Amino acid sequence: MEQIIQVAVLGIGLGGVFALMGAGLSLVFGVMRIVNLAHPSLIIGGAYLAYWGFRIYGIDPLIMLPVCALVLAATGVLFYKVFFERDAKSATYSEMTVLLTFAIAMIVEGALGAAFSNTQRVTSPSYATDAFFIGNVFIPKGQLYAGITSIVIIGLLAAFLKFSRLGYAIRATTQNREAAALLGVNVNMVGLMSFAIGIGLAGAAGALTSFVFSFFPAKHWEWVAVLMSLVVMGGMGSILGTVVAAFSLSIVAAFVGTWIGSTWSTMTFFLALFLVLLFRPQGLFGEKPELV
Amino acid sequence: MSDAMQETGAVLEARKAYNETLRIKADQTRATWFPITIMILLIALPLLQFTGNYNYLLHMVLLTASYVALASSWNILGGFAGYISLGHNVFFCIGGYFAGMLVARYGWSGIALAPLAGLVAALFGYVIGLITLRVRGPSFIISSIALVMIARLLFDHWKFVGGANGVTLPPTELSVQWAKLPYYYAMLFIAAFTVWCSYKIKHSKFGLGLRALSKDEIKAEAAGIDTRFYKVTAFALSAFFVGMVGAVWGEYLTYIRPSIFLVILIAAYMVLMCILGGKGTIAGPVIGAILLTAFNEFFVATMGASELNILGTGVIMAVCLMFFPHGIVGSLARKGRLPRILNWD
Amino acid sequence: MSDFLTIKGITAGYGDGPAILDDAKMTVQEGKVHCIIGPNGAGKSTMMKAIAGMLPLRKGEITFKGENIAGLRPDQMLRRGIAFVPQERALFPKMTVRENLRMGGYILNDDKALSSRIDEIFDRFPILRERADQHAGTMSGGQQQTLAMARTLILRPDVVMFDEPSLGLAPKIVREMFQIVRLIADTGVTVLLVEQNAVMGLRHADWGVVLDLGRTLFEGPSAEVLADPRIQELYLGGQKVA
Repeated sequence: MEQIIQVAVLGIGLGGVFALMGAGLSLVFGVMRIVNLAHPSLIIGGAYLAYWGFRIYGIDPLIMLPVCALVLAATGVLFYKVFFERDAKSATYSEMTVLLTFAIAMIVEGALGAAFSNTQRVTSPSYATDAFFIGNVFIPKGQLYAGITSIVIIGLLAAFLKFSRLGYAIRATTQNREAAALLGVNVNMVGLMSFAIGIGLAGAAGALTSFVFSFFPAKHWEWVAVLMSLVVMGGMGSILGTVVAAFSLSIVAAFVGTWIGSTWSTMTFFLALFLVLLFRPQGLFGEKPELV
Repeated sequence: MSDAMQETGAVLEARKAYNETLRIKADQTRATWFPITIMILLIALPLLQFTGNYNYLLHMVLLTASYVALASSWNILGGFAGYISLGHNVFFCIGGYFAGMLVARYGWSGIALAPLAGLVAALFGYVIGLITLRVRGPSFIISSIALVMIARLLFDHWKFVGGANGVTLPPTELSVQWAKLPYYYAMLFIAAFTVWCSYKIKHSKFGLGLRALSKDEIKAEAAGIDTRFYKVTAFALSAFFVGMVGAVWGEYLTYIRPSIFLVILIAAYMVLMCILGGKGTIAGPVIGAILLTAFNEFFVATMGASELNILGTGVIMAVCLMFFPHGIVGSLARKGRLPRILNWD
Repeated sequence: MSDFLTIKGITAGYGDGPAILDDAKMTVQEGKVHCIIGPNGAGKSTMMKAIAGMLPLRKGEITFKGENIAGLRPDQMLRRGIAFVPQERALFPKMTVRENLRMGGYILNDDKALSSRIDEIFDRFPILRERADQHAGTMSGGQQQTLAMARTLILRPDVVMFDEPSLGLAPKIVREMFQIVRLIADTGVTVLLVEQNAVMGLRHADWGVVLDLGRTLFEGPSAEVLADPRIQELYLGGQKVA
């Protein structure tokens, strides 16, 4: 029993980080219909920022988090302006943009690799290797802090989307772009803002990642498929769906990792993806299948 | 209704433009002689070996030929049917491993096994296609990436095929001077065969159906096309050629391991070559393959570092997508300026 | 024929395609219900989209209260008091009824005013108050249409345009929709509507406009349109109209 609680706790901690990673991705997809394959590479970018902040100035990654978020949000705005602010009416828009993000992922990876080499890095604030014990249940502080921070950020995001004027505009644009434009929403501005927020979330996730996982520039490929699975499973564009998928699958993955072997834990995400494609192609919270 | 009208308008415009180019180029019909001449030259190329060591040249041609085959087969699914797969290297891997294991364990010949390896890859393609082709657009692309990750995990931990270290294959017994030749001819033949098949497919009723479903799957279905069968078959066919290339490639390298086949860069190359040359055209993937090989040699020679190579590939891909989404052949054809020698469609 | 809203000689089409509207016009009288009828593909919806600013005009003139408004964006039209409900009802299915209404007042940017206006809407359409916290996508077709029409009123527009409000609704609900249209007109709002069921539409309208092949063939008081034997034969399915 204790072991079950133990594994579940670890799963929840990771689930929070994955949920935060996936939330930004889902937001961007919802508003822009862009599957941002570069999202994980930008997370790594955020992680490097936190890493150097810690190495050079000794700044705690949790304190660096807002900085990472802001820097990445600015990067997001830049990318939006350079790559995506063009006519979105092309028939092959979704294919073209997904390939474009694939190219951007390679650009970011190549740039990070050239700048920082392919060495594995990890930020090591004191809590990264520390742990609490509740009874015999062992709770690593790093994962705990990362999980809690993620949940807080996701909560803030949800409140922002639910109550703020921009949040209304973002939700409206996600659900019916044309209708939102008709009611006076500047959908281009909403696209830009969602990109900034989505990539900003990647930066925040990067800061957390920097002390939870070891990372290197090419690491993002390992996450692309995992995060994308979460987004497809949640129902493309449903942030709630993505978060639910992140938590539930991370817990399952933690059990798979413990009982079957740690190499197979990521397999959980991929198998779940294929099961969803087989039995519910529109995803858990999606409404109609993506067959357009 | 509005979309339909818009589309009808677009179709009419396209038809007008097309008729216009047809009129201009009435005398510029297909230049079949050009690829055939190139082919003859390439077949004769190894004669150079009598005069010195041209192994590097042969290697480059072989490499280009394998890229031509990979790109042209990706084009069947991605260019004709409009399903962008970022996981086609899985079939490259399946072909390579199937042949490679038989070579390693039973001493069979990888080249002779290529068609069989292709069939095995096609079978996997068919079954996987049945699942992943249920979704279109972004979801399909994502499922294709997941496929690579699954394959990588499996092959990295599958003891029978040597796990992450792979398996070493017996080297050829030919002298250095002639060692490359069997693979050279095999790859050349596979490349030519793939291009020829993709031409045949494009001009068949099947190819027409694929292009119809790439434009609008629901309308194609309504027009009586069994879209599910069409796209799954396209997927399997595409996997077939990729599998053949894998079989020859593995034996040529004399080792097979997951890190050769199952890296995202290989999948990226397949897409990039088609985008660069012109997705959905016959000559496009060939041009794209030649350019990509040249770019790669240039990058490796000038910058060496693989990080910069990745960066460079990404930049080229982004620039192509943003400014030449129809690729070289596609863009030229749209302007009616396609040189006759590149009109293979 | 005052200088309230003038629509003259408008030509429009999609993308580079052929002109769907070719020199169409219509007369708009303040506070009246206008019904545009015509066969499929006549350009009825296109006309509304063109007026609403969703489609660039190739030619033509639209003036509103003396101002040339041709070529403005939809949100600029909205600010000038012209609201539009397209055929697809344009709701946000996963937002609640109240949130949908708040989106209707998005350009107001004034929370207090918005809340009180939503209350007014709830007073006029009690069914919406009952469903205030339900997702719009889960309501019946008639309720969704009611919401879509009510949402335009948040901004207190001078002109509202409805593209086939009866689409996909049961006959009994269709009658309710027309009652709502009348209710809206009675508060002094000018209504333009496209209707597939021409007889039904004209009966509930004051002014009829017959559109075919992108041109205005005929317009006049709806009773006259209904009574015209040529129009009866060509566009009203030869129905005898008493």
